[in-house]
Amino acid sequence: MSLRQKLLLVFSFTVVLAVATVAWIVSLRTRQAFTKADEQHTAALIDQFRRELRGRAEDVAVRVDELAASDHVVRIAVDLAANSDPSPYMAEAASLARDHQLDYLEILLPDGSIVSSAQYPARFGYKEDLKLAGDQPSFLKKEELADGTNEIGLFALRKVPGSEPPLYVLGGKRLDRGFLANLAAPADSQILLYPALTANFDASAIVSSAGAVERATRFQPIIEQARSTGQERRSVIYLTERREDSVDAAAIPMKAPDGTVLAVLVVANSRRALVELQQHIRAIGYGVAGVGILLTIVASLWITSRISRPIEQLADAASAVAAGNWDTQVEISSRDEVGDLAHSFNHMTQQLSEQRDRLVQSERVAAWRELARRLAHELKNPLFPLQLTLENLIKARGMPSADFDEVFRESTETLSAEIANLKNIVGRFSDFSKMPKPQLEDVDVADVLRKVSALYEPALTQHQPPIGFECRISDEPLRVSADPDLLHRALSNLVLNAMDAMPNGGRLTIEAGRRGESVELRVSDTGTGMTAEECERLFTPYYTTKQHGTGLGLAIVQSVISDHNGTIRVESTPGSGTTFVVELPSAVASAAKA
Amino acid sequence: MKRTVPWWLAVGSLLFALLAPATARTRPRYGGILHMETRSDPLKAPDGAARRLLFDTLTQVNDSGEVVPALAVSWESQSANHRWQFHLRTGVHFHDGSPLTAEAVEQSLSAACTHCGWRVRAVGDSVAITSESPMPGLPAELTRSMYAITRQGADGNPNGTGPFRFVANSNGIVFLSANDDSWQGRPFLNEIQIYGNRTIDEQWLDFSVGKADLVEVPAEKLSLAQQERIPLIITARPTDLLALTMSDQLITDPHLRQSIALALDRTSLFNVIFRKQGEITASLLPNALSGYSFLFDTTMDVGRARALRGGQSVAVRLGVDSSNAALQLIAERLALNLREAGWTVHVVSQATNPNAELSLRLLHVEAADAQSALRETLADFGSGLHDDISDPASLYRAESAFLQSHIVVPVLYLPRAFGVSARVHNLVLSPSGVPQLANVTAEDVR
Repeated sequence: MSLRQKLLLVFSFTVVLAVATVAWIVSLRTRQAFTKADEQHTAALIDQFRRELRGRAEDVAVRVDELAASDHVVRIAVDLAANSDPSPYMAEAASLARDHQLDYLEILLPDGSIVSSAQYPARFGYKEDLKLAGDQPSFLKKEELADGTNEIGLFALRKVPGSEPPLYVLGGKRLDRGFLANLAAPADSQILLYPALTANFDASAIVSSAGAVERATRFQPIIEQARSTGQERRSVIYLTERREDSVDAAAIPMKAPDGTVLAVLVVANSRRALVELQQHIRAIGYGVAGVGILLTIVASLWITSRISRPIEQLADAASAVAAGNWDTQVEISSRDEVGDLAHSFNHMTQQLSEQRDRLVQSERVAAWRELARRLAHELKNPLFPLQLTLENLIKARGMPSADFDEVFRESTETLSAEIANLKNIVGRFSDFSKMPKPQLEDVDVADVLRKVSALYEPALTQHQPPIGFECRISDEPLRVSADPDLLHRALSNLVLNAMDAMPNGGRLTIEAGRRGESVELRVSDTGTGMTAEECERLFTPYYTTKQHGTGLGLAIVQSVISDHNGTIRVESTPGSGTTFVVELPSAVASAAKA
Repeated sequence: MKRTVPWWLAVGSLLFALLAPATARTRPRYGGILHMETRSDPLKAPDGAARRLLFDTLTQVNDSGEVVPALAVSWESQSANHRWQFHLRTGVHFHDGSPLTAEAVEQSLSAACTHCGWRVRAVGDSVAITSESPMPGLPAELTRSMYAITRQGADGNPNGTGPFRFVANSNGIVFLSANDDSWQGRPFLNEIQIYGNRTIDEQWLDFSVGKADLVEVPAEKLSLAQQERIPLIITARPTDLLALTMSDQLITDPHLRQSIALALDRTSLFNVIFRKQGEITASLLPNALSGYSFLFDTTMDVGRARALRGGQSVAVRLGVDSSNAALQLIAERLALNLREAGWTVHVVSQATNPNAELSLRLLHVEAADAQSALRETLADFGSGLHDDISDPASLYRAESAFLQSHIVVPVLYLPRAFGVSARVHNLVLSPSGVPQLANVTAEDVR
């Protein structure tokens, strides 16, 4: 990943993180605020309901009080006290209930027997399961009706004043839609009533002030919880798959005096506003984040380009220097640390160039000195016998002619041999100095290797002790742009060197194969190997580790390889043999480069 | 010489002058319109209120409960009551002027009796009725309004020989006018207006404001009517049987049926709802007719009812005429009784649940004698009394045998009553509770 990409990622991540954090915090706070508002709203509705229920209870109590104290009922009580036959009053409750706007009304004897029932006339004579102990607070009660259904009502029980034996009046109002209608629920709230009349949950029994409730089954869990625990329960209920259709519901159990839950009131506040606001905030957040990211990318591209371009230029320049272009310079476009770095780089490359020039110069001087030394050394060897022979010949002038002839003959042979040696040395030096320029053509390295192998394999076999030979050539095309003769000569030198390195026998291996865009040739021997110092000096002209030779062979090989735009290196460890590795650009790479 | 009026003559004249209007008042006067109201359709067969006024039967029941001649002046039985011959009254005409003939009687009776098993045949001026089963009570049977002699009029209106003729039926009001040529003599009233399909409350309201002269007073409101001092006329004996019937195809176990019968609390119904009007019964006939009604046990036994039900959890429907508030109340009360015995009972409307397992019915028993009444009642319940039995013991055995299956459980016998305004005079009820309006007079001529 490049510096620019990294910078881009970092900037974008930073912006996204910042925006996301802000949006999350805002959303969280908003949700908390709305939740709190919802809770307060719900609590207010619940309070309102409780007030309404109390009000209803008081209203029922007042009505029942009035009814109990009415002349009509008092007269009934008096009549019953005088004449214990309640049958004439069997139908009284219905009209009394109507007159006092009660949904339920029963007139009860002291033992709880029903004299008259408005809601279930046929129950006359049956006993009401209530504790008749005078005036009691209003209470909830389940009322069975003639059609087999049950209803929940708010009841009050009153003793008819002055009645002896006591006569009781049990009156009530139905807890139904009409009751809910009196609870002024806001538009976004719903108040539901579930009469717990059956053991199993019955969704169809849930009513609201508007009638039947859609998706009533969704309220089942909270209602059943409130019913089973007898405690108020709150929960978020999702009416559909959409979050906007969720409600914050509170279920309030409504109990009979014995603690039985007779009904559950559910106050449900719509969460639509909250959800929509959250979605709105989220959308804004996403939008802002998106715009921010976009702007970030644009800014990042500009910033990173300003930051990374000089660095990239420096990196490119460093690569150029590494590739050998030591006098690379970079543009100094700023005065900051990057500018300082560029300045330093330019200074460095300038220094490198100068040092390289000096090094080249000194190496050149050193090479000339070495060459002169080697040449002097080589030339001195044959010159000394020449001098001795001439001195002998001069001395022999005074010898008898037969002795002089003998000495003359030996001296001339010696002089000829040494002069030939001198000529050889000079010839080789001349050859080295006059290395021809390669005539490049498309050459199959495998062919050249096969020729070299064929040339020297017999010599290897006949070597005493014999030297094993192996030639491994890859099946890949190994075509290079080269001078076949010079290449043959270089490889021959390497083979000869390898043979010279194994006087006691060994194994010579020649390998050739593709290595990327290059063709790699490896000539390996199992000789004694060389030290690192020897490896460094190996390609220096006239440097040799052998007893014989001019020391120019590897220098010539290096020169040939270098003229072919290749490289040669040596890999050697003392005692483990030596491998010369030649890399030549393949013909395709060479053509591309051209 | 000065003529002086004797003091006794003056006093006598004065007294006569004072009493004469009263005497004139009590003397029947022709004219007047009677406004009558009923809950049912006046023309509805078999016993709509207008039918007894429009049509006659071959025989009728007098005040003493005896079967006396009507359109038939005499009759005799042959072949051990397998054949009866009724001799028709002469000079009787239908309202459309056509004469009453044996053929008309044959036609009318044949149409009315498609399942009786009778064969009716005109024989000269008489009508012969034969049957493969003996018909010992046929004359009494023929007093029932379902066997009234009618003839289809050309205009499609009701056409009979009764003391009143049909004038119009408009907006639920049936207008009848006096039949001047009635074989019984012209009735005193000129016109009778019968307002049908009126609730009891509506009838009493009209009665209280003087719009109605004759209104129905159901048994459960008799006590209230008495409290409100409504002039009443009540049948001498109970005429309407309140009974619980069971479907033996739906409740096949006789023990279950007996359980239901034992769970009923008749006393509460009698004491509270009907305020002791009528009589508690477990028999098909009222005691006044049979004399042995008390032999049928009316005791409620919830424990035994539960035991007979066993551990079965049985749910049944009790069908009732939901338009009748009293019957609805009774049905709900009986449902409560049955629940005490472990039954699950749902009170439903008979109209929408004709196949309910239980059914509460109120039957009107027209017949005036025990045998005819038993035959009539059994026929109403889909059974029959084929033997010629008239002695109480045989009747008891027959009734007892029928009731043993508990398919029918009699609950109460109830009287019929009417509220009568002060301007109506000479109103009597037949033994079966039908107002005899032919001899009624109305005080004021409207």
